[in-house]
Order: sequence, then structure tokens, then C-alpha cells
Amino acid sequence: MTALAVSNVTLWLVVIALSVALLAVVRQLGVLHERIAPVGALMLAKGLKVGEFAPKISVQDLDARSIALGAARTDERATLIMFVSPTCPVCKILLPVLKSSLASERDWLDIILASDGEASSQREFVLAQRLGSFPYVVSASLGMAYQVSRLPFAVLIDAQGVLRARGIVNSREHLESLFEAKRMGFASIQDYFEAAAQNHQAA
Amino acid sequence: MLDPAFGYLIIGGIAILFASAGVHKLRDLAHFAAIFAAYRLLPDEPARRLAGLIPCLELAVGAALLWTPSRRLGVASGIVLLIAYALALSLNLLRGRRDFECGCGAARDGRVISAWMVWRNLFLAAALGIAALPWTRRPFDLTDGLTVAGGLVVGVTFYAAVDRLLGHVAPKALILRSTS
Repeated sequence: MTALAVSNVTLWLVVIALSVALLAVVRQLGVLHERIAPVGALMLAKGLKVGEFAPKISVQDLDARSIALGAARTDERATLIMFVSPTCPVCKILLPVLKSSLASERDWLDIILASDGEASSQREFVLAQRLGSFPYVVSASLGMAYQVSRLPFAVLIDAQGVLRARGIVNSREHLESLFEAKRMGFASIQDYFEAAAQNHQAA
Repeated sequence: MLDPAFGYLIIGGIAILFASAGVHKLRDLAHFAAIFAAYRLLPDEPARRLAGLIPCLELAVGAALLWTPSRRLGVASGIVLLIAYALALSLNLLRGRRDFECGCGAARDGRVISAWMVWRNLFLAAALGIAALPWTRRPFDLTDGLTVAGGLVVGVTFYAAVDRLLGHVAPKALILRSTS
């Protein structure tokens, strides 16, 4: 074999090895992204602050029942407003989770779905996804009042009308982190971890 | 004129692509039928019935590319198929429907359609178009064998890497970036 042929074969082997390594790195990156996702509902730094009173708004659901949001309640129940849209794929993944949360958290929580846009497509969405058990509000002003930037977006208000959590919710873990945070008395799961880390340092 | 080493490389790579696409679709035909119906190119019922035709076409194109007498036919039908996919994708993107699976890649891949897939298909169609040029006649020796074999291995792994990067990693990175 001539030197040129040896060099050619070597180069091919190196290029094959490099492209296999590239594929492995990309796969690892994908796995990493999967793992990063469920860290708890993502809180937004700007806008309404957790711990302050939520804006008081009166809205009507699709069945024309009026709902007062943000007002203090006498029955000691919290309200979760979940902002969704018929065109948002992540919302559809989250709907079964919301249905199971409606049942498992019914002792203390009311869940309200909120959206914005044409009423006819919203009704179609409610029928297709079987959302009859939720009050469904179509209101642009509600989204603006809570400064909803991206969907699916959740707002948790306690019985006193205080905003307990507010953020983007992409998975079951995100949603459940809101309930866990409420149970433990923290604004968000991130606050809990921060407090835990501080306790750890103090000890 | 196209050198036969490049010709075999393009033909071989795209034949592998069509064959694997066809096999993946046939392995879970019911799932693919639902995806094909979601493209809304045909009414729901006929779309589900005709869905089985697509993987058969893909396998036929893959086989036709590898056999010299049918290569021209394979190249032409492969280009038509790739451009048809690109049109179906861009039609749905223009309609504003982007929340259904693309049906490309491995079964139950779960990727939704997006614009880069249109460019990918046009790129592959252009590559096939180059392979349709007349090839130079020269003896095919061991070095050419090495070029084709090495090129195919690199081509397949590199395609898989780019496909994963654009289909899985980039959308998730985008979500992370936009929420922080």
C-alpha cells in the first residue's frame, strides 16, 4: 500500500469516529434536556409578585355563570387559574393531569380554565377534550391582568385572595410542584430549595 | 458529468433513508395512518386507508435506486416523493397547524412538524437531482469502495446527529431559553 492509501484509510477511520462521537454528544444533550425540564413551575421575575393580593376580576364562563377571581373567599378554598389555548400542544398534554388534579385536590382547590379568542373554537375545544367539569372562561382582560406571556400558564390564589404562585407549567411535575409548594407554605419549589440550602448552611 | 463514487454515495445514502423510513412506518402502520390523516390532505377516512401506500412507495423507491436498470425511475420518483412531503409540510405550516407529529424518523418519535423539515426534504431532492446527471465511465476500484463505504457510514451518522439536534435538542433548548 502506498503512503497515500494509508493516509486515506486513516482519515476515513478518524472521520467515522468523529461523526459517531458527534451523534453520541447530541444524544446526551437530548437526555440532559429531558432531565432539566421537571424542576418545578417556572416563576417569572417580573410582574405580579407572589404574596401580594391578586387583582380582583369578575368574569363569565362559557355557560354564562359569573366568577369572582382574586376576591377573599369564605369557604377557605384556593383557586388555580390555568391559562390554555386550543392551539397549544403542551396544553393538551397537560389536560389529563389537570383532570386528575381536579379530583385529587378537590378538598381545597377549584380549577378554572381560561383562554382567549373565538368562543366557537373554544367550545369545540371543550367538547373535543371533554373539559365539561371545569369552569371555562374566555376573557382577554383576565390574561392581561395576570400578565400571561406564554402558555400553559398557571396562577394559584389562596382563600384570602393572595397570589401564591404564578408561572409557566409544562408538565405534571411543574403542576404538582405548585401544590407541594402550597402545602409546605413556600411560594415556589425553588424557594423551598433555597430555604433548605440556607438551613443546611446554618446547621 | 458526475464521478461514479459520488453517484453511488448519494444513491446509497438516500436508498438507506427511504428503506428505513418505509420500515419504521410499516412497523406501526396504525400510528402512521393517524399522522397521515392529521396532515389533512385528504378526508379522514380515505387518508387512513391510503396511508399504507406511502411506506410501500418508499420501500419501492429505495429498491429501485439500488438496481441499475431502474435507477432513473427510482431517482425521479424519489424526487417527486420528497417534494410532495415538503409541499405537505409547508402547506400545513402555512395553515398555521404545527401541533401534530411529522411522521418522519423513528416510529413514535413524537416530533411536531417544523420549517427545517421542508428544507431538509428540498436538500435531499437536490442531492438526488445531482445523482440524475450522467455519470463518467471509469473502472470502480478498491479506493472507490472505501470512499463509498466510509462516506455512507459518515453520512448516516451525521444525518442522524443533525436530525436529532434540530428535532429534539433545539426545540427544548428554545423552551429553556425563552422561560429563563
